[in-house]
Amino acid sequence: MQGNPQSEEEDRMSKGLRARPVRVVLAAAAVAGLAVLALVGTAAARSTAKKASCGTVTLNEQAWTGSTANTYVAKYVLEKYLGCKVNITDIAEIPVYQAMAQGKVDAVLEDWQHVAQYKQYATKQKTVVLEGSNGLTGHIGWFIPRYLLKKYPEFKTWQGLKGHESVFASPEAPQGMFLGGDPSYEQKDTQLIQALGLNLKHVTVGAETAEVARFSQLIAQKKPVIFYWWTPEYRNTSLDLVEVKLPPRGKSCQDDGSTNAPLADYRCAYASYPLEKVFSAKFVKSGSPAVAVLKRWRWPSNADQNMVSSWIAGQHMDPAKAAQKYVQSHMSLVNKWLGK
Amino acid sequence: MAAPTVAAPVALALEHRPWWRSRPTLAALIVAAMVICYLTLSRTLTWPNALVWHSLTHYLDNIQNWLAAESDKSSPNIVYRVIHGISSVVDALVRWLYHLLSRWLTWPATTALGTLVALRFGGRRAALIMLASFAAFGALGLWDDSMQTLALMLVAVALSLLVGVPLGILAGRSNRVDRLLTPMLDAAQIIPAFAYLMPVVIFFSVGPAAAVITTMVYSVPPAVRITALGIRGVPANTVEAATAFGATSRQLLWKVQLPLARRMLLLSVNQTILFALSMVVIAGLINTEGGLGAPVTNGLNSNPALAILAGAAIVVMAIALDRVTEAIAERTDPARRHLDEQGRRRARLATAAALGSVAVAAAAGHLLSAGSAYTRFTAQAWLLARVQSVLDYVQKPTTFLFKDITNPLGNFIVAHLLQPLDTFLVETPWFVTLVGLTAIAFVLSGLRPAITTAAMFALIGVLGEWRDAMDTFSQVLVATAITVVLGVVLGVLAAESEWVSRVTRPINDVLQTLPQLVYVIPFVYVFPISYVPGLIASVLYAFPVVVRLVERGVRDVAPPAVEAAGAFGATRLQILVKVKIPLARDAIMLGVNQGLIMVLAVVVIAGLVGSGALGYAVAQGLQRGQFGIGVVASLAILAMGIALDRVTRGNRSAGRGGVG
Amino acid sequence: MASSEPANGRGPANGSPLIRAEGIWKIFGRNAERVIGTPDANLSRAELRAKTGCVAAVRDVSFDVFPGEVFVVMGLSGSGKSTLVRTLIRLIEPTAGRVEIDGRDVTAADRDELLQLRRHTSSMVFQHFGLLAHRTVLDNVAFGLEVQGVSKSERHARAASVLSLVGLEDAANQFPSELSGGMQQRVGLARAFAVDPKVMLYDEPFSALDPLIRRDMQDEVIRLQHETGKTMVFITHDLPEALRLGDRIAIMRDGRIVQLGTPEDLVGSPADDYVSNFVRDIPRSHVLTLRWIMRPPAAGEEDGPRLDVTTTVRSAVPVIAASERPCCAVDGGRVVGVVDKDAVLAAIAGEDA
Repeated sequence: MQGNPQSEEEDRMSKGLRARPVRVVLAAAAVAGLAVLALVGTAAARSTAKKASCGTVTLNEQAWTGSTANTYVAKYVLEKYLGCKVNITDIAEIPVYQAMAQGKVDAVLEDWQHVAQYKQYATKQKTVVLEGSNGLTGHIGWFIPRYLLKKYPEFKTWQGLKGHESVFASPEAPQGMFLGGDPSYEQKDTQLIQALGLNLKHVTVGAETAEVARFSQLIAQKKPVIFYWWTPEYRNTSLDLVEVKLPPRGKSCQDDGSTNAPLADYRCAYASYPLEKVFSAKFVKSGSPAVAVLKRWRWPSNADQNMVSSWIAGQHMDPAKAAQKYVQSHMSLVNKWLGK
Repeated sequence: MAAPTVAAPVALALEHRPWWRSRPTLAALIVAAMVICYLTLSRTLTWPNALVWHSLTHYLDNIQNWLAAESDKSSPNIVYRVIHGISSVVDALVRWLYHLLSRWLTWPATTALGTLVALRFGGRRAALIMLASFAAFGALGLWDDSMQTLALMLVAVALSLLVGVPLGILAGRSNRVDRLLTPMLDAAQIIPAFAYLMPVVIFFSVGPAAAVITTMVYSVPPAVRITALGIRGVPANTVEAATAFGATSRQLLWKVQLPLARRMLLLSVNQTILFALSMVVIAGLINTEGGLGAPVTNGLNSNPALAILAGAAIVVMAIALDRVTEAIAERTDPARRHLDEQGRRRARLATAAALGSVAVAAAAGHLLSAGSAYTRFTAQAWLLARVQSVLDYVQKPTTFLFKDITNPLGNFIVAHLLQPLDTFLVETPWFVTLVGLTAIAFVLSGLRPAITTAAMFALIGVLGEWRDAMDTFSQVLVATAITVVLGVVLGVLAAESEWVSRVTRPINDVLQTLPQLVYVIPFVYVFPISYVPGLIASVLYAFPVVVRLVERGVRDVAPPAVEAAGAFGATRLQILVKVKIPLARDAIMLGVNQGLIMVLAVVVIAGLVGSGALGYAVAQGLQRGQFGIGVVASLAILAMGIALDRVTRGNRSAGRGGVG
Repeated sequence: MASSEPANGRGPANGSPLIRAEGIWKIFGRNAERVIGTPDANLSRAELRAKTGCVAAVRDVSFDVFPGEVFVVMGLSGSGKSTLVRTLIRLIEPTAGRVEIDGRDVTAADRDELLQLRRHTSSMVFQHFGLLAHRTVLDNVAFGLEVQGVSKSERHARAASVLSLVGLEDAANQFPSELSGGMQQRVGLARAFAVDPKVMLYDEPFSALDPLIRRDMQDEVIRLQHETGKTMVFITHDLPEALRLGDRIAIMRDGRIVQLGTPEDLVGSPADDYVSNFVRDIPRSHVLTLRWIMRPPAAGEEDGPRLDVTTTVRSAVPVIAASERPCCAVDGGRVVGVVDKDAVLAAIAGEDA
């Protein structure tokens, strides 16, 4: 800029003055805009919340397909017929008890005998409530593919395994391999194998997905395999699995390998037990209409959950769609849940 | 300067020993002696029961129960109240951020915000990266989950830096603090997250705060370590000059050390981001708003293709955040900015314009209810189908890949390498193994590491984990060996060739942040032998760090040495082998050390895909609520880590005393 | 122990010493203090290290520096000279001994006093420049003032004027990485001058520069010293440099001062074989003055040409060669000796001996 220093100074000042209001206006507009949005956003949320007389229900989905089936079917029913807003959380099996104790999760629809947690949270602290069976009977056992029975019909019972353990040989267990289960499941197979005097090596293949990968691969090759498994599980039908009969249960029968009980106590089959629904005490006391419905919610049989699970995991159907399909084809059952 | 330890003279003397008295030969002799014992002595002499502390698990369980009871009291003590307070604040912060990104701004405005901020502060390339990543989140159909994870990660990284950088500055300036912190940082990175998830839940409840804390345990150590390295790397001359002019400690820090350590500070931000994002899945296990961790955990069982997509989203987020922060740091480097008054004014207008556009986009988004519109147009279904077809291929045992390559290879590795080593370590009488390992440690690194080794392995025995630990140890050894070989080879290649370096960088980033279970499960189908997938998981997770360190070390070899060798007519290969690698030995040793730590860090994941032993026990501890078992197994892993770390760190040369 | 009495030149006439160093010891290693006072302290460096693991860098060094003089400490690498200069402002803490600067006890000073000393009384120029790479030249020069808390405009103004003193006013907005080694050291010089210190310390400032630049920089320092009259303690390993710059020189070896004196003292009467070995290659006629080769005047010899007694032999040669009569060496108007051609020839001949 030409001119004497004084006018330059004035020039700069005036430019600055002119620029400043522009900036101030823009900044103010931005802030105002964000504030408006915040208000609009929260207002909208509140308004939708007012519509539901049921409020928000938080269900926990555990990391197996059956649990996904439970949660999405319940969610569909609660949202469609009660107008609830259902949140699904994915907290691990043990920490979820703490979450229920603090009311952050309202219900878990399938629990596999976490006796220690029942004692602590339901009996001692009274922060969760056991609401009875969800209609499924859980049972753990030793499973083999059915085609194996054609060649070795004696494998129907555990006695037939004796002397034939090498049928199940594998690179890491030349004497015969028994595939162990996911670390989160109750197991006693190491002790049971020893108690039955079988020459099998218990191999831990890791998490459930890894175990499934392992035995499904062997089954696809029509090879022999024996492994820890359970019902209800949709693969039992799709892979045609049968259970090996284990010694009958007695009074002192133990199922948890991590308690160091005497060996003889493990020499029996796993128990069958109903799978529990566990609710947060806060949820039960809240008087929400969802409580009554969820109390009545249950599967008619293992097969029903298996069916939905196979849609979700076998056919890769979206869980919400699978839930919708089930509900729409079982309206009488749903009405029973709704109390109609 | 300390008086020389017993180790130093041994090391110095050994440099000139003939080959038959060299360290590797001695170690091999000890191993041979152990093998002889294994073959001749009884096979069932495992750690004696009398020397095991059996009741430890009970004590630990009782402690946890007591903590849980305390936390549940209606009027908890002051410690709990403070922790609850912190927990609430962090919860609120994460939720507020999530709502801002997801609901209040709507997806067009969030995308605009991210892109324009990147453009304004980081340049065009950064803006493109941001735009692409947001587009990816949308296309994958995982927008909401991504925003949850993004909000969580922003808070976790910010808090990690807030805690880690000051600690790093302290450690960089004071040797004592450094010595105090290093074992704690090592422990934080080796102890599996599964072991402390329950205590975190007891203290911080379930939710975003717990997830942030869990993430921070893993992402604060790199912030501390690298910041300390940066502070120490400031040239001593410059620090001395500033001190001579009467700068106080604080002036020295702010005017000299921090500005000159800028590159390292940026690296620490980068590593903090990557480490934080590698914890998304585990942190999701205790978070009510699990973000991208949920589809991974659930997907593993019911929808593996979705798990892979979610894993991809995590990687995209990690890389985007990393590249953008790097670009911002480059751009705002004061040494490069020559903004005059007019430039500054223009920059301020640009910022205001960016904010304004975001507000407009947000308003538009709400008016057009963009939220619902987007959910109908994602590419998720198409992507799922593509991924699923790849998975189907992988899972078929009749494919060429499986039948002729991977299955036989896996069988071979296990039958002839892993299984024999495993049996050897597990079935050798315990005292032979203990003495043998101590002797090897002494030969390789000196007296103090040998004592540490003996103490740590004895501790493992006392904890009652001898068998499992030997099992895990054999696999860790093999994994580390493969990792080091692979890492050194690739690192040297990357140092010599620019395009190898450019290719390995994103690969490193992906492998560091992609949740392991996502990519390892397909390997379980392809290599259906227990140990191999775990081995693959360990190697894939650990070798990127080794590559990075070795590359840096070889690149940083003093040019004069290289020049001199060239002047004597050495070929490139000769220079590499005779000059660069020997001179980069420190960096390579550090690579071995860090590779080992990374292998140990994934022992649990490896345990979940077939490696069993300690990793499996830790997972069991969390997932069956058996706190004691989990902690004991974790302590065994930690003990092993400490012993191996001391041995592989080698002797540091005694400090220099400046004379003359 | 070397003498700290000046042989000639600046001395008590200029007042009391600005810097007093008494009995400075610096031993590196654990339990260093225990070594002092024991016979171990007199072991050679290798023996001491083997016996106690300690390294003695400076042993019992004492000297005074007078206002306005250039005091040079010279020695080979490992002689302890760099350590010594750092103990003066406690960049390295002395194991024993006392340092007094401008009447204030430095060794006993607390943190604030030490800070004040470093900010206002002393400044330092470093061998590897020690500039801040992330700041402009102007900001680097102003660093000492910034640390003192001087306002931005004031310190920039002062830095600019000092920059013109060293001829770098055009480089004010460049970064150190853009400058050559010589220019960077000039920035270092400017930075040291900018704080207007009483004492300036130079740690081998020109060792990292090439010989031609080194000569220019020496001229620069001499010029600045004459203009400003600053007291300087100058460390170097280059003997010609020491002889050019120093009013008095202390030669260090293995931590001790072997000889302390003016350049002529060193060249003319080296204290031992080590020093004479050092000065062997110096042409004596360039350093020695008439004082060294004069003899008492005989009767009738006081009418020759008059030269000041501090004239170097070399400068005197033309005058003596041209004159028939022997020259008179004059000190303060009074004839103190006589120099004839034989004496000059002997001095020159003695150079190659």
